[in-house]
Amino acid sequence: MIELLKAELKRTWIQSTRYPLEALGRIFITTCFFYALFLGSKYIAEPPASFGNRLDSIVIGYILWTLVIFIVNDIAITLQIEVQTGTLQQVLLSPYEPVKIFLARALASLLLRLTTIITILLIILVLTGSQLAFPISLLLPLLSVILGAYGLAFMMGSLAVLLKRIQQLLVILQFGLLFLLATPIEDWQGIPALLGLWLPMTAGAGLLRQVMAQGMALDGFRAGLALLVGLLYFIVGLACFRWAVNHGKQQGNLGTY
Amino acid sequence: MSTLMASHLHKTYRSGRQRITAVNDVSLTLKSGEILAFLGANGAGKTTTVKMIAGLIRPDRGQVRIEGRDPYQDTSVLGWLGAVLEGNRNLYWRLTPIQNLEYFGVLRGLSQRVSRQRAEQLLDQFQLAHKRQTPVEKLSRGMQQKVAIAVALIHHPPLLLLDEPTLGLDVESTQQIKSRIREIANAGQSILLTTHQLDMVETLADRVSIIHRGEIIVESTPKQLIQQFSSATYRIELAEPLDTERMIKLQSSQVTIIDTQTISFAHTPEKLYQTLDILRPLPLILVKKEEADLTQVFLKLVRDHD
Repeated sequence: MIELLKAELKRTWIQSTRYPLEALGRIFITTCFFYALFLGSKYIAEPPASFGNRLDSIVIGYILWTLVIFIVNDIAITLQIEVQTGTLQQVLLSPYEPVKIFLARALASLLLRLTTIITILLIILVLTGSQLAFPISLLLPLLSVILGAYGLAFMMGSLAVLLKRIQQLLVILQFGLLFLLATPIEDWQGIPALLGLWLPMTAGAGLLRQVMAQGMALDGFRAGLALLVGLLYFIVGLACFRWAVNHGKQQGNLGTY
Repeated sequence: MSTLMASHLHKTYRSGRQRITAVNDVSLTLKSGEILAFLGANGAGKTTTVKMIAGLIRPDRGQVRIEGRDPYQDTSVLGWLGAVLEGNRNLYWRLTPIQNLEYFGVLRGLSQRVSRQRAEQLLDQFQLAHKRQTPVEKLSRGMQQKVAIAVALIHHPPLLLLDEPTLGLDVESTQQIKSRIREIANAGQSILLTTHQLDMVETLADRVSIIHRGEIIVESTPKQLIQQFSSATYRIELAEPLDTERMIKLQSSQVTIIDTQTISFAHTPEKLYQTLDILRPLPLILVKKEEADLTQVFLKLVRDHD
């Protein structure tokens, strides 16, 4: 699996840097965006995943929002492209299970994207002399959000396997993600609060809000529960993807356009 | 033990309220080092069968065994086959040949190191070493096809599935790929080849299996098929026109006069000498035993089963 992850990292890196101008353009846009945040965060609207109006909250909010959108769309978009280019069938001729291959791919593209963003951020921090605070304890709720996002990503990937073209659905889903990340379920009471805990990513995002915007200490129990829910969505996503691939084989339309 | 044993494969698809039988009771076997040409018109069921063997389409009934093991029960078996399914569309176009080979090597279960070594060997074998750092999108179609075949061979699989490996290639590239296919089989790998280029099948294939409307209608060697469908017809071309007397004699000997300088007759070799006696001493241009070619055999078989 490590060999596979390394190979996917290399492939993703080469594909994204094959045309230097395209790659530089991407880095330039990301740099400009974050630089603008640092120069005038107070003039910029809060991100959809709002964790307060401090600079570090806004930056982390934007990073999380863009990452979640990227993760959720990644597998489905990759699948649609590979079906069009004809490489999907070759990929599925592997002794590795499709779930493992697409997990390695998703991790590789996430790692590359994170590395790019963090490098740009570090350069901006040095240039502007700014500082960002990110307590290590926040890694737990952050992980729960990322796991939930991957769960949704594999579910979207399953739909792409079954329905082939789901671009419009992915656009609509962004509104759903906005709801999941921005809904303050930590303020809910009674049965809605209990039900809200089972939404993907919502509990993790709520914890990030409480700690970063409201200055509260991290609730260990709720963080554990959020992680559990994230893990649950992740496992369900993998199971859906495995089922969709088998169903595609049964229908005889796997990898065809 | 056979490298490939596909038994009684059956696949139907639903199209609206109808069920369409794509493949019905198809069985194929391949021994080590053998080339089986799997022929059929478009929509006959070739690609569905090949994809069932490759584990990409699950058969409704029947079983596939590669080196005795079931790819549907054990996905590691997929590491024992290589395939070129959609020509040059198998490759990542932004990657170079060496990068494609290395990536697919790891995907087939090789380590990075072994994958790189094999990639270098294959680039040499396919005479692509000078293009190792050129992105695939900038290679000619023939070179892309060679890279696609090399990718299918990266993990040295005992079974190779080649679906239209020479589609759209020029004469030179087709010849090069034909030579490579023969070399691969000589090295002990089994090849299931689907193609519409029947001249290639005549020279390459050890056996031929023809599928029509989802069913195998014949399986034999190319030589036997051609013999079976060839009548012992002789064709003689003359340098001068026949005179009337000879024409009458030939007609009474059941010789077909195509024109005044060309005759043909479907008889035994003895009849050839009787005819030559009639023609003596007219100068001859050509005496040829005419045989059916695989294209004629294929068309006849398919039409007979319509």
